[in-house]
Amino acid sequence: MRKKKQGFRRPVVIKKPKQPQEQPSVDPITGKKIPKSFVFSRGKLPAPLKQLQMDLRKLMLPYTALSLREKKRNNLRDFLNVAGPMGVTHFFILSKTATSSYLRVATTPQGPTLTFKIHEYSLAADIARSQLHPRCPKDLFKNSALIVLSGFVSGDPPLQLTTNMFQNIFPTIDVKTVKLSTCQRIVLLNYNKDTKLIDFRHYSIRLQPVGVSRRIRKLVQSHQVPDLRNLQDVSDFVTKAGYGSESEADEEAATVTLSSDIGRVNRASTKSAVKLQEVGPRMTLQLVKIEKGLCSGEVLFSEYGKAGGKGKSDDEMQGEEDSDGDEDEEDQDGDHPEDSEDKDQDLD
Amino acid sequence: MAEEMTMVEPGRGKRKFFKKQGHKKSSNKAKVMPPQHGQKKVKIDKKMKKLFRKRAREYNSDDEDEEATVPATSEPKGLASITNKRNDEDDTESEDGSEDEGAAGPQKTWNKNATDMNNHSSDDEGEDDNEIQPGITKFTEGCRAFKMAFKNIMQKSVPDDMLGPILSGQRKLVVDKLAEEEAESKVKGEAKKEKKMLAEKGHVKPATYLDSHEKFLISVATKGVVKLFNAVNKAQTAQKGLNPSRTKDAKEIRKRTKQAFFSELGKPSLPAIGTTTKAKESTDRVEDEQPAWAPLRDNYMLTSSRLKDWDKMPDKNVSDDMGKTSEDSSSDED
Repeated sequence: MRKKKQGFRRPVVIKKPKQPQEQPSVDPITGKKIPKSFVFSRGKLPAPLKQLQMDLRKLMLPYTALSLREKKRNNLRDFLNVAGPMGVTHFFILSKTATSSYLRVATTPQGPTLTFKIHEYSLAADIARSQLHPRCPKDLFKNSALIVLSGFVSGDPPLQLTTNMFQNIFPTIDVKTVKLSTCQRIVLLNYNKDTKLIDFRHYSIRLQPVGVSRRIRKLVQSHQVPDLRNLQDVSDFVTKAGYGSESEADEEAATVTLSSDIGRVNRASTKSAVKLQEVGPRMTLQLVKIEKGLCSGEVLFSEYGKAGGKGKSDDEMQGEEDSDGDEDEEDQDGDHPEDSEDKDQDLD
Repeated sequence: MAEEMTMVEPGRGKRKFFKKQGHKKSSNKAKVMPPQHGQKKVKIDKKMKKLFRKRAREYNSDDEDEEATVPATSEPKGLASITNKRNDEDDTESEDGSEDEGAAGPQKTWNKNATDMNNHSSDDEGEDDNEIQPGITKFTEGCRAFKMAFKNIMQKSVPDDMLGPILSGQRKLVVDKLAEEEAESKVKGEAKKEKKMLAEKGHVKPATYLDSHEKFLISVATKGVVKLFNAVNKAQTAQKGLNPSRTKDAKEIRKRTKQAFFSELGKPSLPAIGTTTKAKESTDRVEDEQPAWAPLRDNYMLTSSRLKDWDKMPDKNVSDDMGKTSEDSSSDED
């Protein structure tokens, strides 16, 4: 049933005349430009990577082309020419070599290109299959995802650029006017200093009321009639305290006081618990290369060798040799040991 | 008489040879000779004399015809007839063979006598020739058919020998083909496996349970969501009690919008600054501690600091970029 409903929504996204009406290029509240993206591949991809491409497109909904088709003859220039009038600001390019797969994140038309090596990945179907109760509500992909960046505080220029890139991929949120009901998904990027790997995760956000017994909560959330055979009176259903999982009690820090009503259960000015359930693709990335242009130009950062011709540039990044970068990292580690313990979180 | 008998017998043999060379009919007559010999012996001597005389006369008249036909056909027919004669001799008695051997040195006189006898036999047995011909033809045809059949069988035996090696070759070929097919299938299977391995490289099936790393990631994401929701709650609840129609409330709304703006500006600038890590730590600690202690006081402190910033640089706040830079500088000062 869910799959069919998902199928029905696709033509709405694809049809061009409706797009300019439904998807404004500029946020009416903050006045900023809404970022849009293309997810496509270069070269021939095997089946799992094609599916990963589709999962990434879903992740980037609603501001992406879900049914983008590319041919062998298509040039990167072709995508660039189309991106201009459509207001596309970012490219996600998947490619595969004999050694491993790569994901390039680029800003159009001339922006920098970050190349990530995909060490491991799991598809959305794999993750759904691994869960007891996979969750996929109707409105999950109608709004764009939030982004949480964790561990990107070392101040290394490549990491700064990565942070800015990913922050700008998703549209900004106005704290005053945003509706919490539109916050349905969250993307987490966690950087591990020791291994230099970035964990890419995608979760769906669920809110549960706190202070209500388990039976009543379940009764209200689902429309099923409870089983009262073992009870002598209706009041027994309410008075008997149903067992709750220990994790719910432990996560007191995860409770939130809402400013507006969300759904049928979570009311304003009452506490609700935030529950996250993983959806969609899971990736383990490693930053490999940063190029100044769109898949071309000066190499500003390279994991596997010194970047040549580094000089002063107008970009936010300042040219530094790999050895200097390493020294800086060591100094920071030595000077501030607590940084490794406390991992800060950045929110858009 | 005995001498005459001996002289007559070899002469007959010789005449047979010559006539067969000349005419087919003569060959038939020659075949018929042995029974004639038996009859003549039984008859009176006078009759024999008469026969000899007639034959002599006919001989003299036939000599010219034989000479005319011999040069044209003698050689090829001779060869064929010789082979036929040999076969006939084999079939007939051995005595005839010995006589032929004696005929190796022919004499003219013997030849003449033989011709006479042949002439007599032809006159006497004209009717018999017609009767014997079909039998002879049947026999000859039978012989020929038999020869042909035998030769065919012999020839057929050769392909019989050939069939063996062909069959064995085919068997070997089949075995080779099967072996090749198996080898090819193995190679193809291995190639497919390699392709699958390459395609599935990096593709990991997630575990059904949440390990410590996954739990850590979920907790980090949850903290982020909680922070965001709390910020949204603060910003939006502050505006609820105010009515924009009133002038006082409008002023307060404007102030709070500015405060929210500054708070927004403050957040992205913090991670961007790499040099002021200590400042970050202090701000993070304070933020972490504030909600636990006293929320109102935290708000009071934040608002006061923001108000100071606002008072110090009112002009630069107009543009976003300038606002960001001012925030950076203010944080540096702090």
